[in-house]
Amino acid sequence: MPRGWWTRRSNYFWYIVREFTSLPLALWLLWFLLEIRRAQDGPSGYHPHSSLGFVIFSVIVLLFALYHSVTFLSLAGAILHFNVADRPIPSQLIVLSQFAAWAAASVVVGFVLIYFAR
Amino acid sequence: MNAELPLSHTVGEGQGEGRHRHKPAIAHLFWWFMFAQGGVLAAILLPVHILIQGILGPLGIVPVVDRHYDTWANVLGNPLVKLYLLVLIAFPFFHFAHRLRYLLVDLGVPAARGVPAQIVFYGGAVAVTLGTIYILLTTVPISFG
Repeated sequence: MPRGWWTRRSNYFWYIVREFTSLPLALWLLWFLLEIRRAQDGPSGYHPHSSLGFVIFSVIVLLFALYHSVTFLSLAGAILHFNVADRPIPSQLIVLSQFAAWAAASVVVGFVLIYFAR
Repeated sequence: MNAELPLSHTVGEGQGEGRHRHKPAIAHLFWWFMFAQGGVLAAILLPVHILIQGILGPLGIVPVVDRHYDTWANVLGNPLVKLYLLVLIAFPFFHFAHRLRYLLVDLGVPAARGVPAQIVFYGGAVAVTLGTIYILLTTVPISFG
């Protein structure tokens, strides 16, 4: 394939963006691992990240994370096939269930992260 | 999903009067499972962690468990939390390893198809998994309280 093929059509570009989302997500998770490790510094040495640079980094990563979520969960309609009473479940319903699971998991995780901060 | 990872190998082709014998490709099954589960977990769980722990917490908009040592260490000691964090961190790296390796292939880096690249990328995911286990077990002792 010619160099720069992915810049020639928008759907090629967004395909590459979808694959690239892994890099910022991996970096953020490595930071998260570091945040866990910092707990060994003890109460006097523990200082969570609060800089504006870190927040900007997280905003950028969140955009990539949302793109990964939307594209990956939307694929479920093409990948997953279920029959109920010998009738196939519509792919839109399967995709909807994936997004519902995403919403439910977000509410539960968000609640835990905030509730146990007290 | 841009990579072909067949779930069975054809072996003995051209032998025994053209008979084909199939055997399960357990390794492919394992890597596909890790890739798919890692993708699902990253899609469903990561955005809320990034939003709350990476943005809202540091900005002081909501109280977040990792902003203070006491609450963070208390939560990290829970064995269920340790298990959750292991799954949350380790599984996506198998997804990332596969996607980033094929990103390089798509961008014209043929070496990314080779065995050394596979060792680097999937070995990296294994290394992150082992590192996560080590950190979770050594940072805060397991507590059932």
